[in-house]
Amino acid sequence: MVRILRWFKKHIIEAFKISDEVMRAKAVETIEHEVAELDNIFGILVLGAFIGIPSPPIHITMELLPLMDKELDIMLDKVLTAHDPLGHLFSTLGID
Amino acid sequence: MLEAWKIGFGRNAIVNSQQALRIKMNEVKKPKLYFFIGKGGVGKSTTSALTSVYFASQGHKTLLVSMDPAHNQCDIFEQHFSEKPKRVSDTLMVKEVDTDFWIEKYLKETTRQIKDTYKYESAFNLQNYFNVLQFSPGLEEYALILAFEDTFRKYSDREHIVFDMAPTALTLRFFSLPFITEIWLEELLKLRSQIYQKKEIISKIKIAGREIEQDRVKAKLESMIVAYESLRQEFLSDTTRVNLVMNNDKLSFSEAYRIRQKLADISIVIDRIIINKLKAGESTDKIENEFKEQKIGRFRLAAQGLSGYDELKNYIADNQEGFQGI
Repeated sequence: MVRILRWFKKHIIEAFKISDEVMRAKAVETIEHEVAELDNIFGILVLGAFIGIPSPPIHITMELLPLMDKELDIMLDKVLTAHDPLGHLFSTLGID
Repeated sequence: MLEAWKIGFGRNAIVNSQQALRIKMNEVKKPKLYFFIGKGGVGKSTTSALTSVYFASQGHKTLLVSMDPAHNQCDIFEQHFSEKPKRVSDTLMVKEVDTDFWIEKYLKETTRQIKDTYKYESAFNLQNYFNVLQFSPGLEEYALILAFEDTFRKYSDREHIVFDMAPTALTLRFFSLPFITEIWLEELLKLRSQIYQKKEIISKIKIAGREIEQDRVKAKLESMIVAYESLRQEFLSDTTRVNLVMNNDKLSFSEAYRIRQKLADISIVIDRIIINKLKAGESTDKIENEFKEQKIGRFRLAAQGLSGYDELKNYIADNQEGFQGI
């Protein structure tokens, strides 16, 4: 009997944990999207020279380039999917 | 309580006095910087060479640095110069900045850092973009900044460092580089801080208070701002003296007028006007009236041109008035 109760307790706690995580993730979904967009803007500002957008003085790009591998990847990826920006927005906001 | 305050104050006093001493020592050790700027062909190289020889002959340890990519100190001294300073007399050394060397060195260093941090395949892809970047406009003045910093750091034991600058356009870009860079960096830092704050909020909610990784880009931006600010302060310091060289003619006068305005935009003040190639009895009233706040140095025309260390020395012996109040 005690074993069964323990088993239940363990699973109920787990279920709570999972739902807590889901709720937390839901709560920050929009702000996460905003951060991703800001990250892109920052990437384009600094590394714009790589996709043909006027950039800051070139030495700033050069100085930051070694630290911005992730941003560069995302930016070059974005260029490839640039024809469908609304699709991305709709999927983030959960519109079908 | 009172005791604690006393100890705190005392300790602070010690720290303060140490700081003051350090500043004082720096002041003693810090070389005076002289920039010779002006329109092409007015005689920046000749007057800067003369000034350096003058300082050296007064017993001051002097370094003359040619920052003009089209060097001509080698013709004036009739010697070969390079990136490594060459001793011309006991107290005078001359070096010519090799901008290509600095650009190449900088690119190599950046490539190495990229290879260290990027994944292999993306570093490989990046190389193609990178090869194009090295032809970007703006690298030339950055190379000059690198060379300037290096010179300033390595030869701080010299009493005077004289910089023979490139013609106006490149020189103005050189002086404005730290100012423009700082404006950019501050805007980028604002955006980056905003991103970092939002990331912090996300991590607080999502992983309940665990601290997020320090943003390396933000830290880099902050350290760059500090570096450029100190460079900017160096340009504005009272040990930095900008000498504007001109001839007594309309063209170089109007260019000098514009240079003064452009430099005033970035708060750099011209210390001294050098009127070069003056003929005997020529009036310089117009220049004196326009540049009332500046000291005036007059250099008369050397009929045969000047070449060789001895000719420079002879010219100085006959033309002491050019160096008054320097």
